[in-house]
Amino acid sequence: MDELLQFVITGITVGMVYALIALGFVLIWKSSGVANLALGQLVLISSWFTYGMLVQAGLPLWLGFPLVILFALALGWIVERFVLRPLIAQPILSLITVTLGIAFFIEGAVSFIWPKSVAALPRFFPQETIHIGTAVVSQEYLWAAAISLALFGLLSLFFKYHKMGIAMRATADDQMAVQACGVPVTKIFSWSWMFACALAAIGGILMSSIGGITFGLVETGLKAFSVVILGGLDSFLGAIIAGPIIGLAENLGGGYLTPLTWSGVKEVIPFIIIIIVMFLKPYGLFGEVRIERI
Amino acid sequence: MDLPTGTRNYTYGQDMAIFRTKTHWVLLLALLIILFTAPLYWGNYWLGVANLIGITIIAATGLNILTGYCGQLSIGHAGFIAVGAYTSAVLTNRLELPFLVGLIAAGLIAGLIGTIFGIPSLRVKGFYLAITTIAAQFIIIWVINHWTNVTGGFNGISVPPASIGGITFISQTSQFYLIMIIVVLVIFLAKNLARMRPGRAFVAVRDNDLAAEVMGINLFRYKLLAFFVGCSLAGIAGSLLAHWIGFMNAENFTLMDSILYIGMIIIGGLGTVTGPIFGVIFIRMLQQGITFIAPVLEQTFALPAGFTTGIGPMVFGLAIVLFLILEPRGLAHRWQLFKASYRLWPFSY
Amino acid sequence: MNWKKSLKVAIIVCLALVIAAIPLLGSACAGGGSKVKVGFSICYTGVAAEKGRPMGNAKLDCIKYINEELGGVAGYEIEVIWRDNEYDAAKAATIINELINSECLLFTTNSSKMMMASAETANRAEFPGFAVFSSPVLTNPPQHIYAQMPDYGDDWAAFAKYYLDNIWKGTGKPKMALHLLNNPTGSGARDAANALADELGIDIVADEEHTPTTISEIESLTRIKAESPDILYISSTPQPTSIIVKNAVELGMYPGMTIACGHASFTSVLVELAGADAEDVYGVYPTVNWGDNVSAMAKMTEYCQKYHPDDYGNMDYITSWAEGLIVAEILRLAIENVGVDNLTPQAVEEYGFKKLNNFDVGGLHGPVSYTPGDNRLSKSVRVFKVQNGEIVPITGWVEAPLIPYEFD
Repeated sequence: MDELLQFVITGITVGMVYALIALGFVLIWKSSGVANLALGQLVLISSWFTYGMLVQAGLPLWLGFPLVILFALALGWIVERFVLRPLIAQPILSLITVTLGIAFFIEGAVSFIWPKSVAALPRFFPQETIHIGTAVVSQEYLWAAAISLALFGLLSLFFKYHKMGIAMRATADDQMAVQACGVPVTKIFSWSWMFACALAAIGGILMSSIGGITFGLVETGLKAFSVVILGGLDSFLGAIIAGPIIGLAENLGGGYLTPLTWSGVKEVIPFIIIIIVMFLKPYGLFGEVRIERI
Repeated sequence: MDLPTGTRNYTYGQDMAIFRTKTHWVLLLALLIILFTAPLYWGNYWLGVANLIGITIIAATGLNILTGYCGQLSIGHAGFIAVGAYTSAVLTNRLELPFLVGLIAAGLIAGLIGTIFGIPSLRVKGFYLAITTIAAQFIIIWVINHWTNVTGGFNGISVPPASIGGITFISQTSQFYLIMIIVVLVIFLAKNLARMRPGRAFVAVRDNDLAAEVMGINLFRYKLLAFFVGCSLAGIAGSLLAHWIGFMNAENFTLMDSILYIGMIIIGGLGTVTGPIFGVIFIRMLQQGITFIAPVLEQTFALPAGFTTGIGPMVFGLAIVLFLILEPRGLAHRWQLFKASYRLWPFSY
Repeated sequence: MNWKKSLKVAIIVCLALVIAAIPLLGSACAGGGSKVKVGFSICYTGVAAEKGRPMGNAKLDCIKYINEELGGVAGYEIEVIWRDNEYDAAKAATIINELINSECLLFTTNSSKMMMASAETANRAEFPGFAVFSSPVLTNPPQHIYAQMPDYGDDWAAFAKYYLDNIWKGTGKPKMALHLLNNPTGSGARDAANALADELGIDIVADEEHTPTTISEIESLTRIKAESPDILYISSTPQPTSIIVKNAVELGMYPGMTIACGHASFTSVLVELAGADAEDVYGVYPTVNWGDNVSAMAKMTEYCQKYHPDDYGNMDYITSWAEGLIVAEILRLAIENVGVDNLTPQAVEEYGFKKLNNFDVGGLHGPVSYTPGDNRLSKSVRVFKVQNGEIVPITGWVEAPLIPYEFD
């Protein structure tokens, strides 16, 4: 029984971290219909930049963080302006592949600028663990979960009520109609990419403070895809709910299946979930079902 | 296809022919002769590179049929190559069956697994399918790593050299002939597939699958057929790869490799038969070039330490992005333009 | 129209000539006339570059030192042909062919994976080589591939012996839990444990796996906690090891039991990532530390500071400097025994590799010897402990017993 509580708590908190990254993906999908397969790499490069600012340049936290956010905004703008703008009307295969190309490029750039393969960030959160019943959870995870929820709340409100948010949703639905209404579509794309990179940066900072900066951030980015698929590609609510579900599935599944089957079952659970979702309900729990017409 | 002026087609056969004029036949023969006498003057190293290029061409042609002709985006190709490689390795190593059995079984089993993972393509497309194939690759690699009794798990499995009848293919030269014959057959197969009914159906599905269904093309059958053909070619490539390296380990098949395959067919030109050839040669030669040049550059110019590690992926990523922005139809299209302008010179504007 | 036709013919002939010329260019690269050639397959780029580069730098520096200051080996300059294998098996396979073709006498690789990709070709061609970091399957059954340093299975065996002799104070069998990385680093320890645990008298109560990119191992440690093991052995890389140690502290399991790590994770990065939680963690490492008082330290430090000052302090540099010294020793023995004109790869194996006897490698790691049936050249490690944030050695050279693996 103790184990169950521990697994549940760990699952939910880890899942919230996945959900945070998934939010970035949903943002880009919702506003421009582009599937950003370079998500993991964006998280990676923002984390390394944080390392560069905080450790290599030795800046204090209150100065380093805003710089990282600025860097993320700038990166998003550059990617959108120079890579995605020329491909605006191309079929989706090109768009997905170009994000793959960017992913490759960023991985190379990271190895180029920061040749170390792992690094540690200084700790920002207090270290003591919190006990819930017999289970323990470290404060870093709780902070990450709290920040994810806060961001989710902000994003939902933004998309529902703010002028820019509504414009983004409209652009995702029908670009030509929006242009006919006089809304600058290119500006909207820029802003959505910039926000998404900023989200990725925040996610990266949280994750690297928990586990250090490694190429593993890319793999966690892949797990965020399973969150996105389960929750629905264009739903923030879906991301927040699906995140803990995947985390729970991983930990409970891993916890109870591992003694019965092979060790290491935990890694493959998110991917099996993707396949199952594809067979049963491809658009996810909360996703919008697209109706296609000829 | 474009023909020189003055060539007229009087029969259906002439219209559909791949090699229409005398020049075409002569060039084809010359190319084949040069190709098959290459081992006489190429050293072992370049033969090895050529073997790798040949194997990659087979896999890339499979991916081209799946993604280029049929429009089913698949970013898990390395996983299917792994299936083929391991099938062949296990059959020849553990069960000691002959090489040909291993080769054909590799193709069939990889095709079968590809078909199974391709079933979601009936309900989803585009990005969803891409994620499914990524998941497929991870699951395949995980199964390979953990099915230790059969596949040797993390330690890998050694593969005996290929042998047909009494001939054992150990040296690079013998493997060169084996691989090149299979490459020629595969390309011939792909070209004909494109010209026949399945090929036309694939293109229809790619362009608008709803319309294709309305016109009477059985989506179920043709999408799964595309997966089967594409993945079984990957399996054959995997089998040849396993016998060429002599040792199989799941770490060779990463997500980055799958992305590189997509990059190869895009750079080469989607949906053409010569596309994969161009793309593969371009990327592999680039890889070889970087292998030679990067350390030398780093040492002579005192570049930062991460240069050699980072420059490879950066160059590939940049190449993919630039090709997509500037020449989305790939090198094959450039080649067509070149041929056309040559034919029409001096009026090639 | 006629000239167009002759143009076509001319183009075809030109193409044929160009294609024929490429191999001539290729063979020009492989030239060089020295009689003593060695091949290095180095992972300068790719995922393993962080280890590969300092190792590549170190072995090239060492050969440079031998050629410049010692006048080569037995008076003959060593010519090095090295290639970057990018940690990619297909690339490694082409490189080994090139090295065999270029008349090298032996070859080395950094990593076990690269050696596995090259081993088949090398074994078929009877081309000897050794892997700096090895894995049990390369040397069992013993063929033409040797291991410079003890592998991950040997780490486990050496530490298990040390634990039983020095730390285990209870009666009966101690309970050991394994937490392993999901690749040969981890499975090496598992294979050794499966082969040797019963004989040594250790009870393996748990066998968990993790990925190199894990961010939380609370779930697997909860399962391990239920078994209350006496010792947790981790065979992995620094980042996941730090996660496991931190999670063990959070769960209250550590301090309390013993935690020990294999050499792949026991570096200063572990202490950096895990912080104070890593206090009193044990580990094994097969080489000495920078600054230790051994005979090769001075020259190695000098060359490192002069040519690659960024690599100072990197343990892999030491490992590969030792590799260079071993290569020179093998060649020296071979030349001494058969003379430089009779050098072939087979001769180098028979009279170089197999004649190694207590070569002290300048004290940089355990002594290097060949015993028939055992292709490991060096079998000793030292046991270390993290004390006050520093990695401190607590033993001399501990030899890892030969492990009865069963591979086919």
